Amino acid sequence: MNLFIYQLKQAYLSLKQKPIFVLSVVSTMGITLGALLCVLTLAYVMLIKPLPYPDQERLYNVEHQLISNENAIDGRAFTYPNLMHLYNKQSLFEQSVLMYVDGDVITSLPSEPMVALSFVSPQWFSLFSAKMALGRGFEASEKVNSYNPVAVLSYETWQNKFDGTANVLEQNLTLGGNSYRIIGVLAASNIEAPLAGAGFKTELYLPWDYNSVSERERKRWGNDDGGLIFVGKLDKKYSGYSKQKIDQILTRLVSDNWQSEVAGHAFFKDWSIALQTKTLKSFIVSDGERSVYLLLIGALGLLLIACANIANLFVSRTVERQQQLAISAAVGASKTQIFHNILAETGLLMFVAIVLAQFIIFIGFSALQYYLGDFLPRIDELELNSFSFSISTLLLVLLTVVFSLLCRKMINYHALNTTLQSSGKGSGIQVSKRVRNILISSQIAIATTLVFINVVLYKDASELVNQPLGYQTENITSVVLALPSVEKGLQVQKINELKSELLAHPKVKNVSQAMRPTGFGTLALTASITEQRYTVLGKDVDEQYFNMLEQEIIAGENFSAADIKDDSSVMIVNDVFAKKLAPNGSAIGFKFKNGVEIIGVVNSINVPGRQRIESRFYYPASLARNMLLIEQHQGQVFSRDEMITALKKVDRKLSLFSFTSLNEYKNQRLFSSQTTAVTTLVLAILTLFLSGLGLYGILNYSSQMRRSEIGTRMAIGAKGKDIVGLVIKDNAGALVIGLAVSFVVLLVLYLSFSDSLSAYINLELLPLFMLTMGAIALLSSLACYIPLRQFIKKPVIHSLKGSE
Amino acid sequence: MSTAILSLHNIGKIFETEELETHALKSINLIINKGDYVSISGPSGCGKSTLLSIMGLLDVSSSGEYFIEGVNVTDLSLDDAAEVRNAKIGFIFQSFNLIDELSVFDNVALPLRYHADKPNNATIKKRVTECLEKVALSHRISHKPNQLSGGQQQRVAIARALVANPAVLLVDEPTGNLDSKSGDQVMDVLDQLNKAGTTICMVTHDPRYADMARTKVQLLDGTILQSPAIKIAS
Repeated sequence: MNLFIYQLKQAYLSLKQKPIFVLSVVSTMGITLGALLCVLTLAYVMLIKPLPYPDQERLYNVEHQLISNENAIDGRAFTYPNLMHLYNKQSLFEQSVLMYVDGDVITSLPSEPMVALSFVSPQWFSLFSAKMALGRGFEASEKVNSYNPVAVLSYETWQNKFDGTANVLEQNLTLGGNSYRIIGVLAASNIEAPLAGAGFKTELYLPWDYNSVSERERKRWGNDDGGLIFVGKLDKKYSGYSKQKIDQILTRLVSDNWQSEVAGHAFFKDWSIALQTKTLKSFIVSDGERSVYLLLIGALGLLLIACANIANLFVSRTVERQQQLAISAAVGASKTQIFHNILAETGLLMFVAIVLAQFIIFIGFSALQYYLGDFLPRIDELELNSFSFSISTLLLVLLTVVFSLLCRKMINYHALNTTLQSSGKGSGIQVSKRVRNILISSQIAIATTLVFINVVLYKDASELVNQPLGYQTENITSVVLALPSVEKGLQVQKINELKSELLAHPKVKNVSQAMRPTGFGTLALTASITEQRYTVLGKDVDEQYFNMLEQEIIAGENFSAADIKDDSSVMIVNDVFAKKLAPNGSAIGFKFKNGVEIIGVVNSINVPGRQRIESRFYYPASLARNMLLIEQHQGQVFSRDEMITALKKVDRKLSLFSFTSLNEYKNQRLFSSQTTAVTTLVLAILTLFLSGLGLYGILNYSSQMRRSEIGTRMAIGAKGKDIVGLVIKDNAGALVIGLAVSFVVLLVLYLSFSDSLSAYINLELLPLFMLTMGAIALLSSLACYIPLRQFIKKPVIHSLKGSE
Repeated sequence: MSTAILSLHNIGKIFETEELETHALKSINLIINKGDYVSISGPSGCGKSTLLSIMGLLDVSSSGEYFIEGVNVTDLSLDDAAEVRNAKIGFIFQSFNLIDELSVFDNVALPLRYHADKPNNATIKKRVTECLEKVALSHRISHKPNQLSGGQQQRVAIARALVANPAVLLVDEPTGNLDSKSGDQVMDVLDQLNKAGTTICMVTHDPRYADMARTKVQLLDGTILQSPAIKIAS
């Protein structure tokens, strides 16, 4: 034990003399291990850790498949009547839950906030073992068809929308004209099952009966709805049933009934229904599993590169320690004791790296939760736990042993014993020139390939981020109104009053009745003469729209106020659609079968985050349209509260469904591209940094081995530049081989996956590849030069003495 | 009248560590004239090799001035010092310091590769052959150093030291790694070179070889012991 502490102390003192080596190893391994542990913990939480609900292994989601007469799956969502039939008639599940998700405005609160709603059947609370902070969840009194208007708040809703008031249970809230009594608040520790997707967080729970599926849709056997969800807990007595058997029983139950209900519909002749069960855990993880494996591959790749580079640094460090180890051997240290000496130093470094990794994990968890919370399920459950601790310990031991064994393998104990007597001739620590060249070539090949791939992805993403949109986003807010059900004339009157109210506001410059510029629907059009069919993206706008967005009309004319008022049969198309309709002439005057005529052509806009520009057309908006674009004067901010005030001034029944600036929309759409740009740039820099470290390690070792030669050359007249030139020339072969290998790897990748990669890799990228090679060559030259500084920047005697 | 090749005035050298200052050389005054054969000897740690390093511009002095052929070289940059070393000084080391990967020819040619005049290949070949003939090793021109005996390696090192026609040969314990027979052969070569006009300054602690020099300098604790044969720079 005393010897172990002594060795640790010696290791500490020895490392204290080498701060750059320590910094390189600790930062590289700390960051890499932190990233790996982060992803491993994520993989554990998503793929291995049981769901935090009782009897989670018996929880199943049921998928409803509508299968066409061509035996293709037409839809994977429930039709409302089929869902209710399953819920009422099934006997396989001892508990079953219905769920429907939507959003609406709480009109009884002054701020009229938009909230995420879950309409659930009462067993939701017991099935997911929901913990309550106040009151109760839904019970038998809220069973399906009881129509009991009560509500349960999430903890965050209670805190943020009701200021955490203690008497919240005595309050009512109003949504969509209905008043609900608040009967409970969920506990802060409650973990919501992400049944409606990773990003969906329920803010308010309402009884199933009040779900927003219309009475008409509730009776339609052929219309499926993606918001309908069924979860059941398999009865213990059926736990021996295979998935296939369960699916068959459920399918028969629903399909037989459905066939009889649609028997009169010719459309559904030879169509069928299939029900497929999935464990709730695999349903929740769903596509996230692929993302986790991709992240895992990325993190393991990073670890591989880091380990390769750090191994090179350890090789270099061992050479530097030759004298120290030789003295230890000379005074009687055994082979094992020398290994323990190395083990102590390596272990100390890896321990500090693992400690740093814990901080990185902490930051990583926050970053994952912030950035990927909407994409990956169960990410809220990420925390430093026994799993991450065990893996950290395992990695600490594994890496310490691997790096120590590598160093031990370099040491020829017998030669080490004679090092002190041989005046530097022959060495106890050797790596052959061939191995050194292979290390350099592989390092350069990996670095060039990875840097190039990252730079290509960065270029692609940054082009998307920076591409001109073709429309104005500054000072414009998109508004969606929640309107009460009134006849159209009254609605038009209210909207007109609202527009006048808004235009009278000092902060408002203009108002257009239209949806945000990137929102389009898909419509079918048939040319009147050729009868050619077109499926085109279309949207309704008023006469103010193009001026407000500064989207240029390049031919023909804009809609007039009369066109909007009279709902004229006119349209404006974008230049892409115009070219498709009239490749060699003007599209103005082109007519469709529904009598609509093209009166103008506008420049196309780019949807943020998308490269392809599609055919689009614009048609006159209805005066009753509930969507507005509000342009504010320069430097003015028209707030959500001001919007609500304006609404209430016109009619207290008007409420605000959403209020989002075009810049916010733009940033949301560009988030993925911006994340890609930042990630690839960081990875490219990290790869360059790691490769630089690795190359430095090899070349420093190589320079140490050539110390005597360098000293001799300088003694007989070689200048610094001669020595640098010599070393670069000696390593040029390995550099060229590395670059050639990376070129071949990229070529093979391209030829193997040309379909997927053609959008990213083409001949235009050749200059970029040359630039990447140039950067790697520069990095290699620096890696050659830096180790030589210790020789060429000091009097020659230092090199000669060191070699003796 | 003799021409001073090397001229040292009050040269001092202090090695400093965090806690300690060691005066390796103290006010060394020494002149070596063209054609001289000087031996520097003294006990271990007296400063012999330090003095030779400063004379060879391998190291810099802490004080004093140093002239080679009348040019002050005390504060030369590293590159300028390299140029002077290449043109004016030939080194012979105790451990030969030949480059294992290079042939005898390439080892000997090395100083010419760094020469400011950039001699062509024919000139290099001529000079290398001449120098190897002087040390009787022209028949080993294509061999690698590890194919030669210790004595032969040191003779290759002598040829390398001569190839750029230096003003002086600085020799550091030339026989230290050799058996006595090989050592004698090497000393004979040096003696012949001096007789042919080559200026030599040699560090040795072997009194037998020190006596072969015409001028003997004794060093003790970094100071030259007065001797009638020593020329002291004024």
